[in-house]
Amino acid sequence: MSRVPGAALAPSRGLAAGGVLALLVLVEIVGRLGLAGPGWPPLTDVFGYVAKPSAQQLLGRALTATATAALAGFLLGGVVALLVAVLSALVPATGPGLERLAAVVHAVPLIALGPLLITTAGREATPTLVAALAAGFAVFVAATSALGSANDAQRDVFTVLGAGRASTLLRLQLPAGLPLIVDGLTLAAPAAVLGAVIGEWFGARRGIGVLLVSSMQNVQTDQLWAAALTAAAISLLAYVLLVALRGAVNRRFQ
Amino acid sequence: MPARSNDLALPTDTEPAIALRGIVKDFPLKRGAAVRALDRLDLEIAHGEFVAILGPSGCGKSTVLRLAAGLEQPTEGEVLVEGRSPAELIRAHRLGVAFQEHALLPWATARNNVALPFRVAGREVDRERVDALLELVGLAGFEDARPRQLSGGMRQRVAIARALALEPDVLLLDEPFGALDAVTRRRMNLELARIWMEQRITTLLVTHDVDEAVLLADRVVVMTGRPGRVLHVQQVEMPHPRGGEVTRDPEFHALVDRLTGMLDDPEPVAATS
Ligand SMILES: Nc1ncnc2c1ncn2[C@@H]1O[C@H](COP(=O)(O)OP(=O)(O)O)[C@@H](O)[C@H]1O
Ligand SMILES: [Mg+2]
Repeated sequence: MSRVPGAALAPSRGLAAGGVLALLVLVEIVGRLGLAGPGWPPLTDVFGYVAKPSAQQLLGRALTATATAALAGFLLGGVVALLVAVLSALVPATGPGLERLAAVVHAVPLIALGPLLITTAGREATPTLVAALAAGFAVFVAATSALGSANDAQRDVFTVLGAGRASTLLRLQLPAGLPLIVDGLTLAAPAAVLGAVIGEWFGARRGIGVLLVSSMQNVQTDQLWAAALTAAAISLLAYVLLVALRGAVNRRFQ
Repeated sequence: MPARSNDLALPTDTEPAIALRGIVKDFPLKRGAAVRALDRLDLEIAHGEFVAILGPSGCGKSTVLRLAAGLEQPTEGEVLVEGRSPAELIRAHRLGVAFQEHALLPWATARNNVALPFRVAGREVDRERVDALLELVGLAGFEDARPRQLSGGMRQRVAIARALALEPDVLLLDEPFGALDAVTRRRMNLELARIWMEQRITTLLVTHDVDEAVLLADRVVVMTGRPGRVLHVQQVEMPHPRGGEVTRDPEFHALVDRLTGMLDDPEPVAATS
C-alpha cells in the first residue's frame, strides 16, 4: 500500500512545520539582502502590505472569487468524474473508450483551453470550468483504479452469491475503493485551485489570477507576492482538509 | 428443499447433487501454450453428502471447486450442480462458498458480513437467522465486531456463517482453515463437524490436511499430481457425529496413514491409461 498511514503522520508533521519555517526564513534573508533583485521582496514587507485594510479588502475579494470557483469546479469535476467512472464500471464495454477520452482531454493543456472557454462559456464560467477539468481528471484516474481495487477472493464471493453489477458496485467496489477515491480528491483539490487561477488569467472580473496578472503588469511586487501566497494558502487548506478526511476514511474502510 | 418445477422428468434424489463428468481444464499460458490442470476427471456427490478432496498442492483441487462454483468453465466435459449449470444456481442464490482467504468486507461488522447474501439477493435481511448463524459458529457477542477485531479463526467462522446464510443447496469450501495454526484448525474442524450435523448440506471440501478430510468427510477423494484426476476414493465409515475422541481411534489413524501414503507416492496409478 502506497498510502501514508495515519500513525506515521504525527512525527512527520513536526518535521514539515520545521521545513516551512526554514523556508520562510530563507525567503526573508534573500529578500533583505536583495540577492534575487527587486522582484523578490523581504517577506516582512509582504506581510506589512497584507496588514493594510485596503490590501485585505482587495485580497479578500479575490480570495472569495477564486475559492468559490475552485470549490464549484472541484465539485463539478469530481461528480462528473465519479459518474463517468461508475458508468464504465457498470458497462465495462465503455471502459477503454472513456479512459482514452479522458486521456485526450487531459493531454490538451489547460492554458490552451482557457481562451477557448472564454469565447464559448464566457469569462464568468471559465475559472470554474478549468478548475473542473483539472480536478475531474485527477478524480477520474483515481476512481477508475479505485473501483478495480477489491481483491479477487471478494469478487469471487460476490460472483458466487449471484450479485449483479449494481449490487457489486454499491456493496463492494465503492466501499473498497473509497480510500483511493479520497486520495484522488486530495490531489484534485490543489489542482482545482490552480485551475481556477489559470482560468482567471484570461480575463475574469476578479480573483487571485486577475490580481496576479495586474500586479505583474504594474510591478506591484508586494501585492504580487501576497496574491501568490494567498493562492498557496487556499491550496494548502484544501489539501489539509482532505488529508483529514482521508484519515477518517482509512480508519473506517480498511 | 422446496419443490421446483424440474424441466427434466427425473426425481431430484436419483441424480447427484454435484456431477463433474469427463472434466478437462486447460489454463492458457503466454504464447499460445496451455497448462492442463485437470485431465478427464469424474466426480459425483450425492445429496447431503460431505466429500473431501485431498491432493498435493497444485494438483487442481481449487480448480475442481471453482468449476463447481461456476467461477471457471471446463475446457471439456460437463459440470452440473443440482442438475443445472452452476450459473443457474448462482442466479437463484443457492450456492455457498468459503475460501482460504476469508474475503470478508473489512468495513462491515460480523453481522453485516453474514447479512450480505440477503442484501445481494435483494431479500430482506432475516436478522434472527443472521444472529442464529453467528451463534451457531460460536460468535454470539461478536455481532458488532469488525473483521479486523477478530482472530483468524473467528474470521473464518464468519465466512462460513455467511456461506450458510441463504440455506444453500450446496456448500463449497476451499481450504477454509488453511491459514490457521494446527490447534485452532482442529477446533474449527470439530465445529464444522457439529454445524454440518445440524444442517446436513451437500458439502465439497478441498484440503491438503489428511486428518481434516478423514475427520469430516463421508468420502475422501484423493487426486493425482498435475494434471489432476481421481486417484482413489475412500469411503469413511466412522459414524457421525465425530467428536475429538475420533482422532484417538486406531481406525482413524490407519485411514490417515493409508491416505497420506497415497499423497506421498501418487505415481503408480497416475501412469495408467
Ligand atoms: N487462473 C489460472 N491461470 C493459469 N494457471 C492456473 C490458474 N489457476 C490454476 N492454475 C494452475 O492449475 C494448477 C492447479 O491449480 P489449483 O487448482 O489452484 O491447485 P490446488 O488447489 O490443488 O493447489 C496449478 O498448476 C496452477 O498453476
Ligand atoms: Mg488451492
